Amino acid sequence: MKHGRMRQGLHNPLYWVVGTLAVALLPQLPSMAPHLVAITLLPIAWRTLAELRGWKPLPTLLRLGITLATLVVLVGTYGNLLGRRAAVGLLSLMLALKLLETYRARDARVVASLSLFLCATQFLFSQGMLMVVYGATCMTGALAAFALIARREAFAVTARPAPTGRGLLGELSFGSRLMALAVPLGLALFLLFPRWGSPLWGVPERSLDARTGLSDSMTPGTIQALFMDDSPAFRADFRTGLPARRDLYWRGPVLWNFDGRQWQTDFYGRRIEADTLPDAAEAPYVYEVQLEPHERHWLFALDYPAIKPPQAQRLTVDYQLMTRRGITRLTVYEMASDPDFIDSPDLRQTFRQRALQLPEAFNPRTRELMAGWRAEANSDADLVRRALAHFNQENFRYTLNPPLLSRHSVDEFLFDTREGFCEHYASTFTIMMRMAGIPARVVTGYQGGWYNELGNYVLVRQSDAHAWSEVWLAGVGWTRIDPTAAVAPSRVERGAIDALGERRFLLDYEWLREVRNGFDWLNRAWNDWVIAFDAARQSSLLGFMGVERLSARTLVALLAGAMGVVALLLLPWLLRLGRHRERDPVVRLWHRFLQRLHRAGVPVTVSMGPLEVAGATAGHAGIDPDEVKRITGGYLNLRYASDVQGRDVLIRDLKRFRVGRPS
Amino acid sequence: MNTVAAADSSTPPARRSPARRRGLLGALWAHFWPREAIRDWVIGRVRKRGGAITPPYTLAYRGIFILPTVFGFGFGGMLVFTALGGLNFNNNLALLLVFVLGALAQMTTLLAYRNLVGLRVAAVRSEPVFAGEPAHLYLDLDNPEDRHRFAVEAALATDRAGDCVDLRPERPASLALALPTRRRGWLEPPPLRIETRYPMGFFRAWSWVFPDTQCLVYPRPAQSPPPLPATGAGHSGQARRGDGDQVYGLRNYRAGDPLKHIAWRTSARHGQLYSREMESPRDSACVLDFHRLDGMDTEQRLSVLTAWVLQAEHRQLVYALVLPGRTVAPASGPAHRAECLEVLALFGT
Repeated sequence: MKHGRMRQGLHNPLYWVVGTLAVALLPQLPSMAPHLVAITLLPIAWRTLAELRGWKPLPTLLRLGITLATLVVLVGTYGNLLGRRAAVGLLSLMLALKLLETYRARDARVVASLSLFLCATQFLFSQGMLMVVYGATCMTGALAAFALIARREAFAVTARPAPTGRGLLGELSFGSRLMALAVPLGLALFLLFPRWGSPLWGVPERSLDARTGLSDSMTPGTIQALFMDDSPAFRADFRTGLPARRDLYWRGPVLWNFDGRQWQTDFYGRRIEADTLPDAAEAPYVYEVQLEPHERHWLFALDYPAIKPPQAQRLTVDYQLMTRRGITRLTVYEMASDPDFIDSPDLRQTFRQRALQLPEAFNPRTRELMAGWRAEANSDADLVRRALAHFNQENFRYTLNPPLLSRHSVDEFLFDTREGFCEHYASTFTIMMRMAGIPARVVTGYQGGWYNELGNYVLVRQSDAHAWSEVWLAGVGWTRIDPTAAVAPSRVERGAIDALGERRFLLDYEWLREVRNGFDWLNRAWNDWVIAFDAARQSSLLGFMGVERLSARTLVALLAGAMGVVALLLLPWLLRLGRHRERDPVVRLWHRFLQRLHRAGVPVTVSMGPLEVAGATAGHAGIDPDEVKRITGGYLNLRYASDVQGRDVLIRDLKRFRVGRPS
Repeated sequence: MNTVAAADSSTPPARRSPARRRGLLGALWAHFWPREAIRDWVIGRVRKRGGAITPPYTLAYRGIFILPTVFGFGFGGMLVFTALGGLNFNNNLALLLVFVLGALAQMTTLLAYRNLVGLRVAAVRSEPVFAGEPAHLYLDLDNPEDRHRFAVEAALATDRAGDCVDLRPERPASLALALPTRRRGWLEPPPLRIETRYPMGFFRAWSWVFPDTQCLVYPRPAQSPPPLPATGAGHSGQARRGDGDQVYGLRNYRAGDPLKHIAWRTSARHGQLYSREMESPRDSACVLDFHRLDGMDTEQRLSVLTAWVLQAEHRQLVYALVLPGRTVAPASGPAHRAECLEVLALFGT
């Protein structure tokens, strides 16, 4: 009984429809407010129970009321329905509510189809490898639902219930064969279908869920928040030798303006192009960066970038790589860097002013201290060394949990608390230098990275985010100074996690990080081959295959050719689908025997009995009548006299039988 | 067989038209989409092209049509929409999903086609029926190949619903189709569709079958006919086959004669079965006479006669049928009944 109900359940398309929708909703739910999650899950639960228990459908008016109320709640939650998440949330909710009235084939099909659409919308938010498993699961569920709905619909006209068809195992084998055919064809389409070089309509800048990443401003805590995030920021594949880890300073936004609390980028710094670039041909480091989408307007490069990649709108005077649009998709660019390049041997007056500006009436104690140091110092370089020594020798601590600071934050930090993260040190050091009359600025970015031996590339995670200072010294120009390294040298040698020596969250273990970093090359390959595949890659792939000019006609011809080849290779297999294979070897061999006779021109049919077959072969050249008699006799004995002993002999004879050439 | 009661329904069981079932939108659609006209045109084309071969034959390449279903079009639209989004955002996973689904959907055309091709249409049979009752048309299919054919449907060209069956390897199957009847006489069935939406319902493959059989429709039996006319022998209409009655004569065995009435010795002598007629003489037969029914039109009289034939047979009487220009000699039994009903059905045609 229980078993019977289970089977009934598996053959009931509704459960497949509900299951498909539930799976399709999975990645969407975490981004929804808890009450919306509840509203989404309730109809799913209700419909499942209704099917199990045979409950009546809800009255139409009640359903309408529920739908309207849900819409009100949704608009109340999201404010409007314009954002991507809100739109997908609307779709999810409406699909779940649609289940309440899903009693007919048409509605079930609509829900299953739109579940697939929902699945496709989830790819807008993430295209990781796990999403393939997710997509494949949705697809399998929906296709099973379609097959069962079609079957049920076909048999609905008959009064009797639909027979079980080929059974669960049969369906699975059938489905997998169908997939095995569809996937190569789908891949051919994927590779050869004409892509658009640029989007037809706008891609929203804020398409992803509040991604963490560097921002164009810095307050205490900004970088500390990133420290908890282990998601990859970018990967760099070095064509040349690898720099030492302590030299891996990945340059991001450069911050000039300080208002007493917050550091910000400078308008001119962002807008003015650099007038000199390092010589790319001479640059010691050449590498390819695979940048994960972060929705901001900059690219990252080691100090100092020598190439302006096509994605960048400008390479600014403070050597930031600015893009016109936010990076909303995986971006790959070639880069070369020269660390020995001299940045601004002469500092223009506007920039000198900007690199010295400070709000008045802040941090009087520090101001006083710096005035004293200034008087004692012989040169700017002396003063810088003295400040670094101060951080190094005094009782400063590098920690993730610094105490909160109030108005005179630099004073408090420098004289009282003396505990901070990299942003505290960079900010304090820069302000100290400005007070001493040395042009200085804060640079944010990433420091270090994990070298992956399998993939031979450097993986930089969000937790590698860092802030450091640059001071302008006569003769050497802008010079990088990392005060954090003076406090905790291991920060730049081995990374912040090592330097802090404390667990960030429950499962934060060294070996786990190692495993994760090691497996990252799979992600990278996935990014490289699947996510980053676009019109440019397509044309280079086709160029590699010898197709130079890429007209639509060429593509269609290639596509047809590829599909033809795949179809020809796999068609015989498909055509054997559903073929019924005889289990009994004797029967199988007997049929082969009949086929051989038939091919030799003997008028035999499957329905003939052994004696008739023997009679039909009489007088045919090339057929040994004794052999036929032995076979038919053996078959007769086995079938009708249960002569089990003769079975093996019969099988041997059947296998041996051939029609000779008529001589 | 209680056919009298079964024939009671005054109107044929009206099937709700598809347009009415689908509501206002459906009705609008039916108005702007001349479904019947298109269907008739297509059938005409198929006939003209020589596709109208009659059973038995094997479904072949040229006779099988395939088109997306409404659901197929909808699903395709969803795929196109998703593909546009995927292309615009260069979202490769979405594109991959669309392409694999598209390839798969395309592949199902082949499977649907293969579900029909090679199928043998053995015969279209029918059994006589009373006007007003649905006639049953049997479509005999044979699966000569060593594979299953799932969810093979059949329907009248004029109808949506029909019958559906799974054909096992190398096994025949029969599909029953109900054909509404209104008038007596020979009924020519409309063309039939053999179709399948296997495996996913994205596409419908179908083939037309042009039956060469005709369906015999008996007149509708009158609901409350006048009482049966009295028999000539005055047995108050209850002349039973008495066991003690003398043998009236011998006649050829007819299917349905009771075993104990068979004249075994005579049959053995002649090598052919004979039945003893144990009945009272001929003049005691109940005569169902067209001319005696006054005040009715022809169809009504035929209806009454049909009801009488059924009653007489039910009461195991010997009865004769007298129509203008045609008389059926007194007898009884299923064959006699069938003969009488056929004469009534075809009267005047």
